[in-house]
Amino acid sequence: MLSVLMTTEYAPMEDRHELQRLLICVADGEREALAELYRRTRTAVYGLALSYLKNAHDAQDLTQDVYVQVWDCAGQYRPTGSPMGWLLTVCRNLCLMRLRREERHAALSEEEWDAIPAQECGLDADERTLLQHALASLGDEERRIVLLHAVTGLKHREIAALLELPLPTVLSKYHRALKKMRSFLEGDDAR
Amino acid sequence: MTNEQIERHLASAVEKTAPDDVNGVLSRCEERKGTVIPMTTKKTTKRKWTSLIAACLAVMLLGGGGLFYQRANAIASVVSLDVNPSIELKVNRSEKVLVCTPLNEDAKAILADMGNGADLKGAKLDVAVNAIVGSLVRNGYLNSISSAIMISVEDKDTARAEKLQRELTNTVDDVLQTSESRASVLTQTLTQDAGLTQQARENSISTGKAALVNRVLALNSTLKFDALAKLSVEELKDLAEAGAPAMPIGMDAARTAAEEYAGTTAVDSVTAEVDPELDESPAHYEVELQTAWGEFEYLVDAYTGKVLSGQKDLLAAVSASNETTKPAGQKPVPSGAAQDIGYAKAKSIALDHAGVREDQAYDMDIELDDEDGKLVYEVEFKSGNTEYDYEIDAASGTILKHEAELDD
Repeated sequence: MLSVLMTTEYAPMEDRHELQRLLICVADGEREALAELYRRTRTAVYGLALSYLKNAHDAQDLTQDVYVQVWDCAGQYRPTGSPMGWLLTVCRNLCLMRLRREERHAALSEEEWDAIPAQECGLDADERTLLQHALASLGDEERRIVLLHAVTGLKHREIAALLELPLPTVLSKYHRALKKMRSFLEGDDAR
Repeated sequence: MTNEQIERHLASAVEKTAPDDVNGVLSRCEERKGTVIPMTTKKTTKRKWTSLIAACLAVMLLGGGGLFYQRANAIASVVSLDVNPSIELKVNRSEKVLVCTPLNEDAKAILADMGNGADLKGAKLDVAVNAIVGSLVRNGYLNSISSAIMISVEDKDTARAEKLQRELTNTVDDVLQTSESRASVLTQTLTQDAGLTQQARENSISTGKAALVNRVLALNSTLKFDALAKLSVEELKDLAEAGAPAMPIGMDAARTAAEEYAGTTAVDSVTAEVDPELDESPAHYEVELQTAWGEFEYLVDAYTGKVLSGQKDLLAAVSASNETTKPAGQKPVPSGAAQDIGYAKAKSIALDHAGVREDQAYDMDIELDDEDGKLVYEVEFKSGNTEYDYEIDAASGTILKHEAELDD
């Protein structure tokens, strides 16, 4: 499983080479490389974080943490592996760690989906509906798969490798999720 | 709408909500590269400022600016951190530390490299707490999964106490996460109470811990305050959860009991880790003795001090097992008479299973460990950017558990 994840390609070739180059520069301590890596990948990382943490505020915090971690650990990245895969694995591990930690605080109840950040970010009404209500109608895993496909740009095969799920499961969940969203949005339009 | 359209809209919406604060990341990167506590260097300049400000304020005081001065130096809240070391921080309204006091001997060791707490004066509360928790972790107080740290906030203003408590919980959580500690965090807010403060002072503990002791006493009034005050927060918490049936023997006594049973009292090189499990049935202390021959676990009854399980007379058992050269088949090992595949064999079993050649593996760590009376080899190593973790039965060579994960 792991070897699949590490050798899977997550982006077109030129992108992959560029990300690889950036990670190697980050390992050398080049701050500008980290800034560029951040600009290119922040949305992908945030999308994955949001799918785990289910609220915009925590996902934004965690996204920042991912890059601090990348700065500290880029030396451990091996150029044979996919740079995006490595980045997303760092993100996923931080998410899981945080969720485990929160489990220990008994007071926390089941998180509700809350994808709209408190601060103004220029979302129009359609985007709000899509982000908040249409995504809320999905199951956790369906939502994660849709976000990884739409936002991060992963192929279904790559999503299966990252989430350690069988490919047919990913495909069926993806199609069911989009069907749900479409019917939600069309129902919404009709109203 | 087609799937592609939905996905495109979604991608652009998420992009708008993704954080775009690269400077926030970069500023933290610099901090992380240094040490966690950049306090001592900054402190000296701050102290000069304090005296300068005090001088200015004295002037203002004469002119009727007294209110500011009072505010800056008035104690708004008292925060205490308890593990077994108990540390108390008095802070003003703007969350600056006015005094940091170690309340017991253990706490003095924790604050030793911070001028016994004096260096924290004037620091922001979260910075001070960060430094203290970092030191607690380094000193091994928060290593075990069941260890606990209690944060108590005392303030007349309940809303402010709760806000402060939330902030501190986050700070402590962050430190614990970075240091991969899995200790749990207990919190409480208290209103100031002279009686409680008095009780706490007499027993050299924080008022927060005194409140926890009183909670246990409320369950069982035959127990003694001063004896309970010596227990750790983790023990008190477990005791309260178990309904406080009796007085536990304490971690030191549990260690002594285990060492006497193991016959290692005279061996200087033996170190011990004690983990209270008072919430389990029967309530016990888990004592792990680290010896030259490996780690051995003992369970000691928490109330009677009787050793419930573990290898008796370690020295005799070890020399006996050295004489049996070849393990005979895979019959179950009676507790103690250890049949042993040896370190080298354990390593090759793990490497074979992982499909990693020995020259590709690094950071190899092999330990012989006693898990509930069964000897196992814990083999850890890295290869590429994957970390492998094996547990191998020391008698039979069977792989009991294996894990591989991306090392980040």
